[in-house]
Amino acid sequence: MQRAVFAHIALHDWTHVFSPLRIRQCCLKHRVQLSSRAYSVIPPPRDEAEKALLHSMLRVDHAGEYGANRIYAGQMAVLGRSQIGPLIQEMWDQEKKHLAKFNEILAENRVRPTLLLPLWNVAGFLLGAGTALLGKEGAMACTVAVEESISEHYNSQIRALMEEDPDRYVELLKLIKEFRDDEMEHHDTGLEHDAESLPGYKLLKSAIQLGCTAAIFVSQRL
Amino acid sequence: MAALLRGLRVGRALRGFGSVVVPKTSSPQCNGLRRGFHCAALRLQEDKDKSIPVPPSSAASSTTTYHEHYRAPPSKNNTATYMHEAPAPEAAASEAAAKEAPQPNTSYADQSGEQGEEYETEEQLQAHILNAALDFVQLHGWTLEAISAGAETLGLSAASSGMFQNGAGDLVLHFIAQCNAQLTEQMAEQHNQVQLGQAEPKKTAEFLRDAVETRLRMLMPYIDNWPQAMSILLLPHNIPDSLKHLSTLVDDIWYYAGDRSTDLNWYTKRAALTGIYNTTELVMIQDSSEDFQDTWNFLENRIQDIVNMAGAAKQVASTGEAVAQGLMGAAVTLKNLTGINQRR
Repeated sequence: MQRAVFAHIALHDWTHVFSPLRIRQCCLKHRVQLSSRAYSVIPPPRDEAEKALLHSMLRVDHAGEYGANRIYAGQMAVLGRSQIGPLIQEMWDQEKKHLAKFNEILAENRVRPTLLLPLWNVAGFLLGAGTALLGKEGAMACTVAVEESISEHYNSQIRALMEEDPDRYVELLKLIKEFRDDEMEHHDTGLEHDAESLPGYKLLKSAIQLGCTAAIFVSQRL
Repeated sequence: MAALLRGLRVGRALRGFGSVVVPKTSSPQCNGLRRGFHCAALRLQEDKDKSIPVPPSSAASSTTTYHEHYRAPPSKNNTATYMHEAPAPEAAASEAAAKEAPQPNTSYADQSGEQGEEYETEEQLQAHILNAALDFVQLHGWTLEAISAGAETLGLSAASSGMFQNGAGDLVLHFIAQCNAQLTEQMAEQHNQVQLGQAEPKKTAEFLRDAVETRLRMLMPYIDNWPQAMSILLLPHNIPDSLKHLSTLVDDIWYYAGDRSTDLNWYTKRAALTGIYNTTELVMIQDSSEDFQDTWNFLENRIQDIVNMAGAAKQVASTGEAVAQGLMGAAVTLKNLTGINQRR
């Protein structure tokens, strides 16, 4: 499992390094359309409907990663110097990589980011810091709840894309599957580190998941 | 007897089937219409080999995907006859009306249009009429009369302006879309030049100023009637479309200026540029200086304001960070001095 994850991350980094170089080569050699490169993550949309769908998916994913980033930042602000600090830092670094990837995709495809980003900025930080104040178990419980919500969201996106046309969206599906696997790993890590031993765990978890569902709903539209 | 009745029933069914396959009744005009379309389709096949005056796709590069709504649909040669087999009722009525006016000339393909181009779709026909109508805006203003005059120069009846449900709004929106498309092409071309290393990249403020100036200069031939156009765009049923055109314009300008932000800056930059564009447009319509020099000075000053504000915002942020760090340092020092900071 670990090796597979490492392979995933290694592949991910390789494409990260490789793509900027190819961009410049491509544009210098021939005037191709920016989004028709074979390795671009989303295919050039066929019509307005597909464009709206893809853009809304990317927008909400970007908002999700941004929020997760801020949650970990909040947790680090409180628990950064405790024993659990390095673990949270490691999970935060993975989220930073996800966010960077989505920033790149949004910029490349001219997707509008969600207007509510400042709200997710503050809300995420407060959620992370607030649950971290409940101690290490609180932080882990928050992680478990959020990562479960995000994994479920990615799964429904994967289902939607597979129903539409798996061959057309093969790159995007690969990316979302990879990110979903990372989030599931965070979820499992949270469970391993005594998330469930928090008093009121079930209540906190359902409250956080309700908030995440609402956030996803709103970010898709706004 | 029964066999005879069955035969009659089959015959009636077949005739019914036949009339379903051929939607229009077989009147001589409509036969001529179909033949005309067939000729048009044949002529289009020939034209496809020659160079058609369509905007060059090479300049499009990164824009084709994003600006398809500005271009006429790519020549649907194969589907020309198919498309005209079942046109919208109003188009059929107006096109039939247009055909009836010059009575002997029922072949649609022989209409003398601009450069002898054939009209394949209703959208392209409307685009051609509106382009022709722009020449009459100085005379008639942004009105249906201009559209009718334009239609007449194409050999169509003046009643063709009835095709435009939105009347003058269609003309103004078409003009705006055309100007925006032209600007986007120019910016894409410049972008290509920079990518190929044949041109130096401009600084953001300079790029914005040039883009807005280029776009506003396209209004100069129509500047006397432009207040009328602006008031048409403010009509409630035109507001969604005009806002869409404006937002796409501003997004394109920022994209080619190099903005790739994915946070709240995306919104603040576009809001700022929208403000600059609208106010400069308003200044332009009441400007009486030589070559609108006052307008360009106004534009330069507004862009400088934005640049200054951005610089000031950055300074405030960095000062704030420095102050916060200073306070933290002071707090840690105090805790050390009073002995609170000891690790137990």
